Amino acid sequence: MKVNYRTIPLLLSLIPFFIKVAVAENNPSSWSIKGFGTLAATGTDTDKIGFYRDKSQTQDVDSGWGITTDSQLGLQVDWQASDSLQATVQWIARDHAGNFIEQNLDWAFLRWSIQDDLDIRLGRLGVGVFSLSDYRNVSYAYPWIRPPHEFYSTIPYYHFDGADITKKFTLNEGDLSVKVYGGYSYNQLPTQTAGVNNQQSPATGANIHYEKGEWQARLGYTYATITSNPPIQDILTPINSPLFAKAWPDLKQIIPAITMRGKAYHFGSVGLAYDDGTWLSQMEAAYTASNTLWSPTRATAYLSLGRRFSTVTLYSLLGIAKTFQHEIIVPSPLVSNPSLLNDQQQLSCILNNNAINEQSISLGTRWDFYENMAFKTQWSHYWLGKHNGPQQWQQSIGNTTPNTVNVMSVGIDFVF
Amino acid sequence: MYFNTLKKIFTAAVLCFFTADTHAEIVVIGNLKNDLKSLNSMQVESIFMGRKRPLPNGRVALPIDQSGLRPEFYEKLTARPIEQINAYWAILTFTGKASPPMLSPDDNAVLGMVNKHRDAIGYIDSKNVNNSVRVLLRLN
Repeated sequence: MKVNYRTIPLLLSLIPFFIKVAVAENNPSSWSIKGFGTLAATGTDTDKIGFYRDKSQTQDVDSGWGITTDSQLGLQVDWQASDSLQATVQWIARDHAGNFIEQNLDWAFLRWSIQDDLDIRLGRLGVGVFSLSDYRNVSYAYPWIRPPHEFYSTIPYYHFDGADITKKFTLNEGDLSVKVYGGYSYNQLPTQTAGVNNQQSPATGANIHYEKGEWQARLGYTYATITSNPPIQDILTPINSPLFAKAWPDLKQIIPAITMRGKAYHFGSVGLAYDDGTWLSQMEAAYTASNTLWSPTRATAYLSLGRRFSTVTLYSLLGIAKTFQHEIIVPSPLVSNPSLLNDQQQLSCILNNNAINEQSISLGTRWDFYENMAFKTQWSHYWLGKHNGPQQWQQSIGNTTPNTVNVMSVGIDFVF
Repeated sequence: MYFNTLKKIFTAAVLCFFTADTHAEIVVIGNLKNDLKSLNSMQVESIFMGRKRPLPNGRVALPIDQSGLRPEFYEKLTARPIEQINAYWAILTFTGKASPPMLSPDDNAVLGMVNKHRDAIGYIDSKNVNNSVRVLLRLN
């Protein structure tokens, strides 16, 4: 188990201060336990490729169907110490690579409301890169069975250790909030052949959210640097061996391209939502700039439109994700050895198979059959383009990507 | 003939029951020690939807929900069914942004809470209001 210990001394040093604040206000404290969950079954119409909700998961699903893709159970404990001080811990049972306890702890923070319109939170916080990022596990809160795949499956990060500050304003009879955050993210992500990738990255960002009547708008930006390398020792060891140095000296040229340490991500996004109680619509568009080979620069977007008929909602969803990837040329070996030429071909296949080239249309229903429960069904049809790789799908290296995949889901969401 | 008369009486009784229930007037109430005289529906909506907790007099409101009238109260206040209100609160709750109002079981419990806490704001059926609390808003 690897835990980020850097924030622990800082949190401990602040406890006396927060206790003083709580005692000074002389208000009785209160506890509450709440929860949310989804029980869902998901399946596809092919065994050629496996479907993930996002790439933090270890189990994909194909025509055999499965319940781990979209099922989860979350528990949240809140301690309201005073009017201005609150502690929250949220843990979710879900399929996530790495340490089951630590990686599924999404929230563990102290919130200090300095004023009614100014909050500071410190501890483990949900990643708020996009609109749904910090509540994407709470399926009851949105109409779909899962967040739009093209948009959210590329961000398999759920939490970071750090702080955020939120300031609220009243603007033109609407509510404007500005949030600034920063911290350290430690995420364990599965790899196809080399176990778990322990990805570490300091991240900082800001977003602006405006809500007035039926409308909501959001602008967001996050900057993250990677301070760890993926488990690519299987590739690096032969490249650095004396044998390869003689027979294939130019191969070392690809090392800067395949390492991740020191490389950066820029996430920029814009979102707009409308909900008048009958009609609901939501869209987001994002541009993610990156200089890493394993997760190249991409543009993603989705648009959803729904109509409520009493307790039943019918919705449609369109999504698109495209990467802007240049082909990596693997240098040729000096010796035309069949084994080395085969290695060159395999390596080229691995390095040029990281694109995201996906579009989809989904149709679904949500039926709020009980006050805190909703029954959902969704059919999604995906078009997968050239070089669409294992970023969002389970695909064996060298296998041909099917042109289309149908994903069907049925589930029940609840909160308590 | 007796059967027809009985049927009419039964139908009338059922209609009266449902009519009375559907058109119950809900009153938003506050503590007498709080110098707040009234609230408008926008202010009550802001408090109960977790947007703003300060009252117009600067004190911080303690909103109290009650299970019996909750769907009807939010329907009258926001024109949205309770399922949408629950989905809205799920976002605020599970992102740690705000906690929903404390939940009381019935009018008596709400009256007790409002009597006890100076900044408590609750809602009850207007039939059960008494002199121990102040009516801040009527929702028809």
